[in-house]
Amino acid sequence: MRIAIDHRLSLTLPEGTGQAVFHLLLTPPSGPTQTVESWSVEGPGIGNAGRFTDGFGNAAHLVNQLRPEGEITIHVRGEVTTRDTHGVLGRPSGEPVPALYRRFTAAAKAPEALYEPFRHSKDNRLSICHALMARVGEELGLPEEPKVPRQMQADGGQTQVQDTGEASEQRPAAADYAHLFIGAARALDIPARYVVGYRVADGEDGLHAWAEAFDEGLGWVGFDPHAQICPTDRYVRLAIGLDAETAPTLRTVPVAEVEQVAKVSAV
Amino acid sequence: MGENTPFDEMYNADGSVREPYRALSEWLAEQPEKGLALMQADAEAIFRKLGITFAVYGSEEGTEKVIPFDVIPRIIAANEWRKLSRGIEQRVKALNAFLYDIYHRQEILKAGRIPEKLILNNAAFCPQMMGLEPARGVYAHIIGVDIVRVGPDEFYVLEDNLRTPSGVSYMLEDREAMMMLAPDLFQRSKVAPVETYPENLRRTLESVAPAGAGRNPVIAVLTPGIYNSAYFEHSFLADQMGAQLCEGQDLFVDGGKVYMRTTTGPERVDVIYRRIDDDYLDPLTFRPDSMLGVPGIFDAYRAGNVTLVNAPGTGIADDKAVYTYVPEIIEFYLGEKALLNNVPTYNCTDVDQRAWVLENIAELVVKEVHGSGGYGMMVGPTSTKAQHEEFRKKIIARPDNYIVQPTLSLSTCPTHINNDVAPRHVDLRPYVLVGDEVRITPGGLTRVALKKGSLVVNSSQGGGTKDTWVLED
Repeated sequence: MRIAIDHRLSLTLPEGTGQAVFHLLLTPPSGPTQTVESWSVEGPGIGNAGRFTDGFGNAAHLVNQLRPEGEITIHVRGEVTTRDTHGVLGRPSGEPVPALYRRFTAAAKAPEALYEPFRHSKDNRLSICHALMARVGEELGLPEEPKVPRQMQADGGQTQVQDTGEASEQRPAAADYAHLFIGAARALDIPARYVVGYRVADGEDGLHAWAEAFDEGLGWVGFDPHAQICPTDRYVRLAIGLDAETAPTLRTVPVAEVEQVAKVSAV
Repeated sequence: MGENTPFDEMYNADGSVREPYRALSEWLAEQPEKGLALMQADAEAIFRKLGITFAVYGSEEGTEKVIPFDVIPRIIAANEWRKLSRGIEQRVKALNAFLYDIYHRQEILKAGRIPEKLILNNAAFCPQMMGLEPARGVYAHIIGVDIVRVGPDEFYVLEDNLRTPSGVSYMLEDREAMMMLAPDLFQRSKVAPVETYPENLRRTLESVAPAGAGRNPVIAVLTPGIYNSAYFEHSFLADQMGAQLCEGQDLFVDGGKVYMRTTTGPERVDVIYRRIDDDYLDPLTFRPDSMLGVPGIFDAYRAGNVTLVNAPGTGIADDKAVYTYVPEIIEFYLGEKALLNNVPTYNCTDVDQRAWVLENIAELVVKEVHGSGGYGMMVGPTSTKAQHEEFRKKIIARPDNYIVQPTLSLSTCPTHINNDVAPRHVDLRPYVLVGDEVRITPGGLTRVALKKGSLVVNSSQGGGTKDTWVLED
């Protein structure tokens, strides 16, 4: 699938800021599940940015700006071709050892009750991860079934998916699902990491977050406990980390609240 | 270890003088009455004039104190030093290899030689350092190894200090003062120089400049500021090696590089000898509330545009819980047996060991895993029953927060006390530089516990310093 992404981030820094410094994780990698066809990151100071690879293997930018004024906007655009691998990413090169992702963090924690039933499970890691994904869904709320008016269905064709926007806003954020899954997996000694990325979501914000768990056989496998599926070709990976704190799309000094929205659609 | 009579570095058990101290012993005998007291007073004046002070956290009096200096030098024979420095070199090489491995393939963890959780879930482990290639593969460039001596041929390493070890300015000033106070004593012995330290520090720092820095890399010393207990040392070292002393606000990043504000405009900085702890180094990557650091400096480091000395995350190699594995680390990376001993360390999370520790606490030393400077520790034999009880409770409450070691009978050296000469316990912190080569300054800082019988040598706990002599053949 070829996916077009249009991602805007905006922030306003405190008045009188002398020098602002930004850390950007806004460049997706090409890999087994996706090929980046075109990509651009525009914003003040980008031309002069320091480019480097961070500790998790992400392509990062260090941007600085002298005496920023008013609203700052960073505009990210590009096209990515994706492949459905049933969530399997494998072992991309240039990444740290999977064991790193057994480190516990404050953000990715799970209550014992959530993972304890799996502690002595004889199932393989993959089955445990699928079961964990289901448990996290039960814990935080499952995605609503598309409500299909029965009569129309009986009529055949013309099925209409009701707008579930309102209901889904009631659910915790995708990051919370990912964190709970990651915390539980790590408690079971399974390396698990946080993924921030995009998902084709016509009309809705396409910015999304999910998790990846490491299986000795398959390598990294994606799990999206918020949607209760393994990522498909509707997903684009942007950056990874131990948790949301270590994989922010944009971090700034001075600290400012970042508003962002991504239009993500199939082309 | 732990015998009742401590090893005295000057006198043999039969009262005869040990060979390295022969010249000193004769010199002491020649001093007129009150000669040492006068010298002591002169020393005070010299140090006040030099402005060497340190701050004691939690003390009620003025924050600045002159560290007590003892006018009788401590002496190490050439052959003793050769043995010690070989052991130190082995240790710092192995620990740097360990750091490289931990932040890359983690082979030592895969091999099961160190428990994975001890490293990966350690607060001192810095995930942001993964995969970074530091210049020459060196992480810990400036190291102060704490060593104690318990016998003629028996040395133990207490701590490796791979973060931002301090005290080297005392080593240099003690020597300078001693040369002023007793020039005649230097004429009688061949003492290895320590004055080369600042030059060696500069060479070491230059040797790890990033590629493209040019022939004369620009070096800055980054200090937390005048309120830091070691501020004097930061400015002293910058001055001695001709580098710029900077606070966080004096540096900034631009285009992924680090610059220093100067009166003639921004100047690119290649190597930063930072004396700010990891957590406060860069609010963009580490603690966002830090006002001391430089936003973006870590990213500039990752981009290969500046070298941070020491590298962030070196604390994982001198963590007190990792310390017990150092002999293992030396074997794993160098295929050699450790030349210097580790102090046996009891693990309080082990039920049997804990029970034994609680039973015998009056004989043991208890240290906080993340403590330093002699804070949060207890020396059993010199503590009260109430203190024993307090630490029993602490260990029971948080067994993983403490390590416990036998009380070592630290060697003693003759020390000027109340116009008399009496033995006092000492330790030794040699300073090591690692860059294009390993450079160990002969000697180091000798700290002396001025209270009779005390084994705590930290300056914050009433310790003093001595000039440390390594004799040349």
